[in-house]
Amino acid sequence: MKRITDILCVFRIHLARLRREAGPFVLAALIFPTAMYLFAVAVSGAEEISDEKRLRFLAGSIVFSLSMTSISWLGYLLLENRFTGRLKLFATLPLAPSSYIFGVIIFALAQAALGTTTLLIVARALGVRANVSIASLSLVVLLTMLCLCGLSVSIAARARSFSEGSLLTDSLGAGLVFLAPVYYSAQAMPAALSSVSKWLPTSFAASGVQTALTGNFQAGTELLALALMTLMTLSLGFRLMRWREE
Amino acid sequence: MTTSANKSIRAQSQTSAPDVAEENVVRVRGLVKRYRDGTAANRGIDLNVRRGEVVSILGPNGAGKTTFLRQLTTELKPTSGSVEIFGVNAVAEPESAKRMMGITPQEGGVFETLTVLEHFELFARFKGLRRREARLAAFDVADELGLGAEINKRVGHLSGGQRRRILIGLALLGRPPLLILDEPTTGLDPASRQTVWKVIRHVVAEGSTVIFSTHYMEEAERLSDRIGIIESGRLAAFDTLDKLFARLERSYRVEFSDPFDPLVEKSVRYFATFAEAQEHTASEQLSEYSIARASLEDIYFALTGERFVKAEEGEGA
Ligand SMILES: Nc1ncnc2c1ncn2[C@@H]1O[C@H](COP(=O)(O)OP(=O)(O)OP(=O)(O)O)[C@@H](O)[C@H]1O
Ligand SMILES: [Mg+2]
Repeated sequence: MKRITDILCVFRIHLARLRREAGPFVLAALIFPTAMYLFAVAVSGAEEISDEKRLRFLAGSIVFSLSMTSISWLGYLLLENRFTGRLKLFATLPLAPSSYIFGVIIFALAQAALGTTTLLIVARALGVRANVSIASLSLVVLLTMLCLCGLSVSIAARARSFSEGSLLTDSLGAGLVFLAPVYYSAQAMPAALSSVSKWLPTSFAASGVQTALTGNFQAGTELLALALMTLMTLSLGFRLMRWREE
Repeated sequence: MTTSANKSIRAQSQTSAPDVAEENVVRVRGLVKRYRDGTAANRGIDLNVRRGEVVSILGPNGAGKTTFLRQLTTELKPTSGSVEIFGVNAVAEPESAKRMMGITPQEGGVFETLTVLEHFELFARFKGLRRREARLAAFDVADELGLGAEINKRVGHLSGGQRRRILIGLALLGRPPLLILDEPTTGLDPASRQTVWKVIRHVVAEGSTVIFSTHYMEEAERLSDRIGIIESGRLAAFDTLDKLFARLERSYRVEFSDPFDPLVEKSVRYFATFAEAQEHTASEQLSEYSIARASLEDIYFALTGERFVKAEEGEGA
């Protein structure tokens, strides 16, 4: 019970931040991904763009939004907590580091739900015809978020300085998306890059989201791979996050 | 030239509290902290604090006060040695130990987008208070620290001293039996400082124990039952004010200036008795001088060897 209260309090502290300073979230999770969608449609060249392509771009933008929310924005908040001494306040409390992690993950998940829903509504207004499988989409979004949050927790726990950490989270947040074949097909990639890109969590995420947007449920290896990566990054995050300094 | 009082301190590097009788709520043994870069910040500190005591920790910048306190609060892992808080091994069970402590770090950041009320309320919840109790505690603490008028203001809009009081307030929530405050009053105006003193006296009257560090001698003198002085990572002294004074062989202080050059820094000499001090002022035909009992500051400088006075040794060295 105490643990749930702790997690919810961590969540509420961060939610207050979002309520009072929503700008960065709106920009990173909504405006950029929408702009990227429009951009991808515009440069795709074809006169009459196929529904399949539109769905791929939409899936790309959703993954972009998730990545910005979980790595760039959340990573920034976690680094700020650490390097402005706020984490020291948590360290003074009988609060488990894992409760802190769960609290910020719930915060990130809430934003992911908000961001994804908004993007779907915007896409519909832009004429994208998706037949969304809510269960399937939720599962992929959940796994993607957990996996990427694990990365930002690890970076924020280990970065030696604010600038080192934010450089890492910024480049990862954008890089993971642009290295994955989300706005273009895998075939269009140079061979060397595509062998790397195949293994990125964002590639699995994009493919999972795209399947969910066509109303299908993607089981099989891709989701399993995403789940395995989630397990890895999260356990790393939980391991590295400690109140006590050596 | 070095301080003259320095040499008049009786050879006595450690003192104090026998391990018996009173209940020790804090027990520290052989505490050593060596940072990764090799800095030996604490070099074997032993100390007991009894229930209901107020203990202040003094020492120059970089002496190791924060390092010491952060090991008590479990934020920093000791290189060796043991820390017990109310019988709990704080090194092995940090969370249980923290349940009994209210902590104000020397430098802590606040959550700027929360209001004062929200900040106190949420942190009270972390300390296990129920919703209603947390709200009441939040109002109480804000009132106690003179933040009542700011209760609905965002913490980010508060002044530096007001934020400092938020950090003290967070430690007070839930009335923990042990408070550990690292320089709680640094940056506070005189009135706020007195408010904090009042709060400390109040929690002690209610049965809490307080350990705090400070650079203000007056604060240590007024508040503490015992004073610890850390110098270069060692506890150079730990005793009551009276016993610390008793260590000074020459506890009368004559401060005088050069009548021909009043801009030159004042000189200080120490004497065993008032009569000796007077005799000196007469024999030297001093025209501007003051004679006073040595203060905690004199003891502090003597122990930490920090003051380099211009005068040579007093009589009867
Ligand atoms: N993380 C760290 N890594 C390496 N050395 C450190 C670290 N933190 C503190 N030190 C060193 O340990 C020594 C003691 O520092 P500490 O912060 O305990 O001093 P302090 O007595 O609290 O000083 P102040 O009065 O300035 O607060 C100093 O020499 C400091 O440089
Ligand atoms: Mg300090």
